[in-house]
Amino acid sequence: MTDTIVIGAGLAGLGAALRLAQGGQTVTLLTHGLGGLQLGQGTIDVLGYDDQPVDRPFDALPAFVAGHPDHPYARFTPSQVKAAVDWLAELIPDQLVAGDGANHPVPTALGAMRPTYLVQPSMVWPHPTTVAVVGPRQLRDFYPTLVAANLERTAGVTATAYHIDLPARPGEADSAPVVYATALDDPAFLKRFAGLTAKVIGKEDAVLLPGVLGHRTNACARLAEALGRPVVEAHLAPPSIPGLRLNEALTALATSLRVRVILGSKVTGFEAAGGRVAAVTLHQAGRDQVYAADQFVYAPGGFESGALELDSYGHVTEALFGLPVLGADREDLITGDFWADQALFATGVGVDAAMRPLAGATPAYDNLYVAGGLLAGAVRWTEKSGDGIAVTSAVAAADAILRGE
Amino acid sequence: MFEPTSHEHNVLARASLDQCVKCTICETQCPVMAVTPAFSGPKFVGPQAERYRHGLSVDHSLDYCSSCGTCTLVCPQGVQIAELNSVARAAMKKDHMPLRDQLISRTTLMGKAMHPVAPIANGVLGFAPARWAMEKVVGIHRKAAMPTARSQTFSAWWKKHTPATPPTRGKVVFFHGCAGEYFEVETSRKTVEVLEHIGFEVVVPKQGCCGLPMQSNGIFDAARDHVKKLSAALDVEPGTPIIASAASCAGMLKHEAREIMGVDDPALVTVGARVRDVSEFLLALAEQGELPLDFTPLDLTVPYHAPCQLKGQGMGKPALELLRLIPGLTVIDAEATCCGIAGTYGLKKEKYAVGQAVGKPLFDKVREINPQLAVCDTETCRWQIAAATGAQVVHPVWLLHKAYGLE
Repeated sequence: MTDTIVIGAGLAGLGAALRLAQGGQTVTLLTHGLGGLQLGQGTIDVLGYDDQPVDRPFDALPAFVAGHPDHPYARFTPSQVKAAVDWLAELIPDQLVAGDGANHPVPTALGAMRPTYLVQPSMVWPHPTTVAVVGPRQLRDFYPTLVAANLERTAGVTATAYHIDLPARPGEADSAPVVYATALDDPAFLKRFAGLTAKVIGKEDAVLLPGVLGHRTNACARLAEALGRPVVEAHLAPPSIPGLRLNEALTALATSLRVRVILGSKVTGFEAAGGRVAAVTLHQAGRDQVYAADQFVYAPGGFESGALELDSYGHVTEALFGLPVLGADREDLITGDFWADQALFATGVGVDAAMRPLAGATPAYDNLYVAGGLLAGAVRWTEKSGDGIAVTSAVAAADAILRGE
Repeated sequence: MFEPTSHEHNVLARASLDQCVKCTICETQCPVMAVTPAFSGPKFVGPQAERYRHGLSVDHSLDYCSSCGTCTLVCPQGVQIAELNSVARAAMKKDHMPLRDQLISRTTLMGKAMHPVAPIANGVLGFAPARWAMEKVVGIHRKAAMPTARSQTFSAWWKKHTPATPPTRGKVVFFHGCAGEYFEVETSRKTVEVLEHIGFEVVVPKQGCCGLPMQSNGIFDAARDHVKKLSAALDVEPGTPIIASAASCAGMLKHEAREIMGVDDPALVTVGARVRDVSEFLLALAEQGELPLDFTPLDLTVPYHAPCQLKGQGMGKPALELLRLIPGLTVIDAEATCCGIAGTYGLKKEKYAVGQAVGKPLFDKVREINPQLAVCDTETCRWQIAAATGAQVVHPVWLLHKAYGLE
């Protein structure tokens, strides 16, 4: 029998599974579909904004937590958060650049500079004075002119937009990012791409290209070599190729540590006895199958995955275990002001120090742990805090399990 | 009951399209879209085009979907993308089903025709001018992998067979599938011998085809008849597990016939809940401490490919876990999406090149890990991998059979 079942394959689920497997446990990971890493940008946010952009997230955490006492980060010291994020970076050193305490500025799909903590080597901003923004006309959803114009406003650079004509495949007029990423894994295509880019750009310090620079190869480094200057990947709308690379690296690491991944079935129920979860029910093809374990880490995400549900009466519920949802009984869950903070967004599950979900003042179950987006108190997308919360809570839950708490 | 190819019958799958958030995860994982611009991808032909169909086909690139089911498997929102596309394709092809697709989906017919004259049939299939003619006349690519006919069917072997040891635990029903009757006779035999070796009494009802090849070619009426007949045939020995050595056919019984064709049949529901892939069954025994582990070590490193229709059952990769119980044996998951055959897709002359490109990462892995021997749970995938790499490709039960010293 498996020691621990992890539910969810986003950063929190993969992180918990990896930490537990490293700690010597047998782990089964249950996930309905692929996790959310591909829908992020392949970066690891810790804290990007506390109203204003944050330069040094760990230094900023005490003041942030003081202003947000119910935030998941309020459970951790800044050094705990940093240790968890550093651990993640060390797991996949080829994919993530080790952090030095400061946020990196990374260009978004619109040409704004977003602060994030861990970046991939292809995203390190070289602080250029002049930038060439180049995109193939046949790639969906990357607009060099828009990006360049906004970069001039947001990054203090002189940016020039250029286009190249290079279909990823003959005759294809609007390729998906993954098609370009695969094409750029081919050295011959990469050479043509580099040649056309070199022909159109000027003497700019750096080249900004769409985030499609190789699926299985480091096309970014090869292009930088060919163009003789730094090349940076800009984010695109999902699906994110850098996110795909991160997801594949972490999943491959998990399977190499013998984490058993069961993809494609939804957890629809559970059995509990004596204050403990005994098993969960997986809705498999043909039948419901019961999976038992000693501990359970629940990392399903929030509203985005259906783990939190809002009905037409304004009731918020947690869909699987029926855990109490903090903040759900407020009258003003949604206000009419689009730009205002919505109380609904901060609803979620409350936990103790070991990440066990609380029913009142005590854990709902002795062996159930929660990590990631289900936790109450954060508005991950405006704070740019979701990845840090996911990794830190996953590590905290796994360590509590490994300590036998 | 609605017309099977109508949209109404598939109302649940259609309802699921509103759960599509356009995250495009399916596009990043689709093995066909990755290798050809001829297919515009699961999201476009699925949840997006479906909104405009109203019974009419709006995007004929749908025909290039291989029905591997990867899109449904990876969708985090539970959209039944592959199911939607299979139904839409059946509607699209309904009035002009190619003769070729009618023929290649009749595995039983092929087996019946070939096995009495096995050496001749195999000779013809290995004869280049005959394959050239088949491509021109029927539309089966001249290089496509074809099964090898056997002189003795599984049933003929089973009739003369007596178990080596008397049973010590309960009964199981064996579902061999039509390929297991005519072409993969060794796999069927070894499955029976392993089950008997660990103490089960094996019951083999007379059985036909599950209809999966017809379903994936859009021939729904015939496929439904087949799956219903098979369900009735397998619905014996109530409560006992039905053990399958054909992973894709097990998936047909477990969920595909109901989810894709809306087959509403009580025997299918019962049988679908009782079917276990043989590795799934043995692994569950192992987890309960009920599988003998007195294996002879096998000093081997082999690549393993989990077929799409096994992954689609949402139970992980049981063969991978099971084979790792054999000492000395190193099993490496090829981590490939699809081998490219997708049942009969990769046989078709216009899709052969696509199928080969889909399978290339897998073929490369097989050559890299062990160019002599690979492991895979489904027969058509084994034929495809073997033809492309020259490796012998066996069902996982072959290695268990050997490790139990049953040769």
